[in-house]
Amino acid sequence: MKMRKILCVPLDPVHDVGIKIIRNALATRGFDTELLSPDLPMEEIVRRAAAGAYDEILVSRTLGYGVAELLGRFVDLLDAAGVRERSRVILGGKAVTSELAAELGFDRGFDEHSRIEDIIAFIEGKSAVADTATVEKRKPDITAGYSYRVHDPRIESALDEIVDKVLHWAEGKSTPGTRRAAVRQNLLEENSEARRTALFEEYLSLSDAVIADASRRGIMPKGVRKLSQEEVRELRGMLKERHALRPVSLRHSGERPLIFKFLGSGCPMMDIIHAKVCERWGVDGFLLINPSWEARYEGLLEGALTHRNDGTVTSTENIRLVRDLLEPSTLLTVRAHRGLNTPETVVLAAHGGADMTKIDLVYGSLGAGTDPARLAVDGIEAIRLAARYKMPFDIPGNDELSGVPAWKTLAGLLINVHLGKRLGARAILKPLFCYGPHIVINGLMRQTFVDYNAAKIRALRAIVDCPIWPGEPIAFMTQTEDRVQSATATSFHAALGTALKVDAMTVASTDEAYSRGPICIASRIDSLQGIHEAARFMGQAGFASTPAADSMTEDLHAKIADVLDRVRTASDLPSAISEGFLGDREDGAYPGTFGKGTVA
Amino acid sequence: MTALDAVMDGLDIETYLVCGTEREGKDLALRLGHELNLGEVDIMFCEFDGYGVRVRLRKYIHKPGDPYRWLMAPRDKDEKA
Repeated sequence: MKMRKILCVPLDPVHDVGIKIIRNALATRGFDTELLSPDLPMEEIVRRAAAGAYDEILVSRTLGYGVAELLGRFVDLLDAAGVRERSRVILGGKAVTSELAAELGFDRGFDEHSRIEDIIAFIEGKSAVADTATVEKRKPDITAGYSYRVHDPRIESALDEIVDKVLHWAEGKSTPGTRRAAVRQNLLEENSEARRTALFEEYLSLSDAVIADASRRGIMPKGVRKLSQEEVRELRGMLKERHALRPVSLRHSGERPLIFKFLGSGCPMMDIIHAKVCERWGVDGFLLINPSWEARYEGLLEGALTHRNDGTVTSTENIRLVRDLLEPSTLLTVRAHRGLNTPETVVLAAHGGADMTKIDLVYGSLGAGTDPARLAVDGIEAIRLAARYKMPFDIPGNDELSGVPAWKTLAGLLINVHLGKRLGARAILKPLFCYGPHIVINGLMRQTFVDYNAAKIRALRAIVDCPIWPGEPIAFMTQTEDRVQSATATSFHAALGTALKVDAMTVASTDEAYSRGPICIASRIDSLQGIHEAARFMGQAGFASTPAADSMTEDLHAKIADVLDRVRTASDLPSAISEGFLGDREDGAYPGTFGKGTVA
Repeated sequence: MTALDAVMDGLDIETYLVCGTEREGKDLALRLGHELNLGEVDIMFCEFDGYGVRVRLRKYIHKPGDPYRWLMAPRDKDEKA
């Protein structure tokens, strides 16, 4: 078959990069192509076009002031020379649209987002290949391939003793939270309506009045309402019709790091539409975040619910609604560890189709308000449930944001990991990439943000073979309300995480530092665009830390070991937390009080 | 002097419009300019991702060579003080 003959014309005084790329792609595919130089007068181009028997003439031009008139004149000249009778004329370039190209008399227009496949399809008279094809994605297991082996014998010995003691301490103990989790499991697995009614009454008897009132009398907490079936139907209908167009990847190459974002606008429908847009912009997974008031009540609300304030209500229906509309490859994790519903949240997450959960016995007590004894009993049960449901759990080291030094926070994370290993669950370490109070006060990042963040990752890797997922989100406390500054800060930290080959990262939006209202989708896209560019810029290259990073790594490792040695001297983990071994009042950490006195 | 008079040169509006096609997104963007009483606005950037468009609109309030109202218009008394 005779290949089509194509003349490539950079109708521009200087620029011909775009048309050169297209010409090379066409030539590679066997088209007979000819490329003109960029500085030819229009009349000369028309003369050449008339002299050759071209099937197509590809014209490249960036639109700007007065360019439309110039292009219109060019088409008129081609017409006058009789070229249009045998050649189709195609316009491509920045800001070109099909409508504009048609208006100017071209046969077709392509913009900077058009793919070479689209251009070839047009030249060959075929239908364009659908560009809604998703980036090929499988649902990853972040914990796959990790042994959880502790490399440092001194630390392993301390962790063994700490875990032995806390498991021994918790033996035979229960709380309203663990009892509700058991009732909830039965409820979700029970088919008999009569038995379900009885179980639900038992559930409400273990819950606070605000939860019971919502179920029995329909009185919802302030700002909460049920979603109507019509709202949910409309959303499902809209998302059935629309699909991600030209999806992007936030990795230049390879399969790591995965990129996560928070959801928790208050409304699961807003969460979903944000999530769908973020999936298109390359996000691999989401963390569903609940309202802070939920942590203070015994019991959880029922149904598909929306909430006018920060945090999406935890219910099986809400989790399912989000899960159902995410891509199958997208990961979903549900926060369990804050407050009085930790084990039950793991049950709901599993039944709602979530992939992971979030449990941290130390941070949940020190930075999130729950009584250490209560959270130890609840947290251990939650980890057992995570193991039962084969759900990995992530451990956020956000106590560092209260002012706790990194080595105490990291020691706390390691206790959780070891507890998980003992109970058959797979944990994920979440050290912060942050400019936390202790770091600021002690000038640990005065020279660079690279060294101390890198030191945290290296110290943890020297201690244990466990997945690492910096958060939460990365660049915490470096971001301001200025969107460019915020996107840049996130992008640099994301580039650092990529260079350190971490498994995943949680990233913020450019309105992260704006605390007076919900996050907007345009701000989410801002930061994702920044990360995308950072990944492209970095490629396979790395960051060079200064020699100070080595001493920081050694210092962190040694101090983590010291903290764990101190914790092992306590009678049990709740006592160690209450005594401040993992963060004290001077650091800015206060043992929580929610659920105090409820351990039986 | 109005607040709009104080805009040095251009006013940008960045948002995300939920729509089904790029064409619809562009139409909505232009309509948004009118609904905000800005008249004709320029679409600087518009990217359709399947669920809507991320868009940046611009309205020039003062172009180079214009009489600059932030310079020539009577300023508020407090402002002068």
